[in-house]
Amino acid sequence: MSGPLRKHHPLLKVVNHSVIDLPVPSNISVMWNFGSLLGLCLVSQILTGLFLAMHYTADVNLAFSSVAHICRDVNYGWLLRNLHANGASFMFICLYMHIGRGLYYGSYFYVETWNIGVMLLVLTMATAFLGYVLPWGQMSFWGATVITNLFSAIPYFGPDLVQWLWGGFSVDNATLTRFFAFHFFLPFMIAGLSVVHLLFLHQTGANNPTGLAGDVDKVPFHAYFSYKDVVGFVVLLAGLVFIALFSPNLLTDPENYIPANPLVTPVHIQPEWYFLFAYAILRSIPNKLGGVVALAMSIVVLFFMPFVHSSRQTSHNFRPLAQVLFWLMVVNVLLLTWLGGQPVEYPYIFLGQAASVIYFVNILLFIPIVGYVENKLLFS
Amino acid sequence: MASRVAAKQTGGVFRMMQKWYYERAAFNQIGLLRDDTLRETEDVKEAVKRLPEDVYNARAFRIKRALDLDMKKQVLPKEQWTKFEEDIRYLQPYLDEVWREKKEKEEWDSRY
Repeated sequence: MSGPLRKHHPLLKVVNHSVIDLPVPSNISVMWNFGSLLGLCLVSQILTGLFLAMHYTADVNLAFSSVAHICRDVNYGWLLRNLHANGASFMFICLYMHIGRGLYYGSYFYVETWNIGVMLLVLTMATAFLGYVLPWGQMSFWGATVITNLFSAIPYFGPDLVQWLWGGFSVDNATLTRFFAFHFFLPFMIAGLSVVHLLFLHQTGANNPTGLAGDVDKVPFHAYFSYKDVVGFVVLLAGLVFIALFSPNLLTDPENYIPANPLVTPVHIQPEWYFLFAYAILRSIPNKLGGVVALAMSIVVLFFMPFVHSSRQTSHNFRPLAQVLFWLMVVNVLLLTWLGGQPVEYPYIFLGQAASVIYFVNILLFIPIVGYVENKLLFS
Repeated sequence: MASRVAAKQTGGVFRMMQKWYYERAAFNQIGLLRDDTLRETEDVKEAVKRLPEDVYNARAFRIKRALDLDMKKQVLPKEQWTKFEEDIRYLQPYLDEVWREKKEKEEWDSRY
């Protein structure tokens, strides 16, 4: 067989078709770096997490002090802990940029790739939630209590479901041990699903900023985008290391440096920054079940994107009205993030409700209307 | 008479809005026509297949040039930007043909 080995060897040709000779549109921008950056974050989290797991103990009497032991006694344990905690934040930064890219450039028309991407988002959120419980600080315990209690709002079997999840009558040792097990296991599901995500992407080929079919101008992935991705890796790792070394507690809650105490409720229970927008939507509905449904819908609504897109163009690149709506949505989500960290009092209650309504109305109503108007202006 | 004048004025206002939107959309700055920017649904793909060779080649050239300009983050010189009045819907007749055939097929399938 003539030709390079990488094209014919049964294993090497899989690698070749994925990251070497893969045809890629020539004009994909830096917004296309976040996919590979997410892969880097996942590898980093798995490696640091593996080494943390060698010294962590999932027991309510030992968990908090085992984390302190890692930070104080384990060689470079402090660095592993800082990289893992801040790595989660960087993973969510990359996730939200990656999703934003998909929303702006109409990548959701690759429906299989998009749907698996939304599943990956849910799995990553679940993994992060489980991981935050493990240090067994005040915010770990009370965050777990608040979020697991939400499932009791499910009619008929809700309360039984929650006790089954807890492994008892409250968040306790049984909860911690199973949360550790699932926090260890889920990243491997994320890795497997990421491979399927890429498999579907490579069936269609990548999108590009113009939204036009990129077939007429493609270049091989290596060396153009392999090296571009390496530059992205360097930038991300520099940012992660900078935060981990100079300001490791920038994004954390000081409440979590207090050991969990079921008898003392913190004044302001709030999740990490990457969940605040959803937390604001949850709290905006006075009814418990309504809040849970709104919380779930805030993520599930992403599945509807291919169906609410009414414009005859794919990308927002040539759609000035849709661009205004997109940035309004971004500002709204930032507002929701801020509101999620505020206390439940005037004027934040009303603002949270207004921003939550705008979030859903934007996606389900304004996007189809603006698409229709743009079609009329351009193609009638 | 009055309704004809009102219709003409409304049509004039709508055309002004179309022209404003066309300029703001800015795809003409990278040498594209309106029909070049259509999402390639099955109908559009079929219509593109039916284009005469010279029209298809011109479309491919415009798209390739646009992707190259986008990659470089550049636009064409202003004198080369397509004007709103000069933009022709070259794909529309073929799209109409595809939709007509599709509708006829659906009617036929529903009857037999």
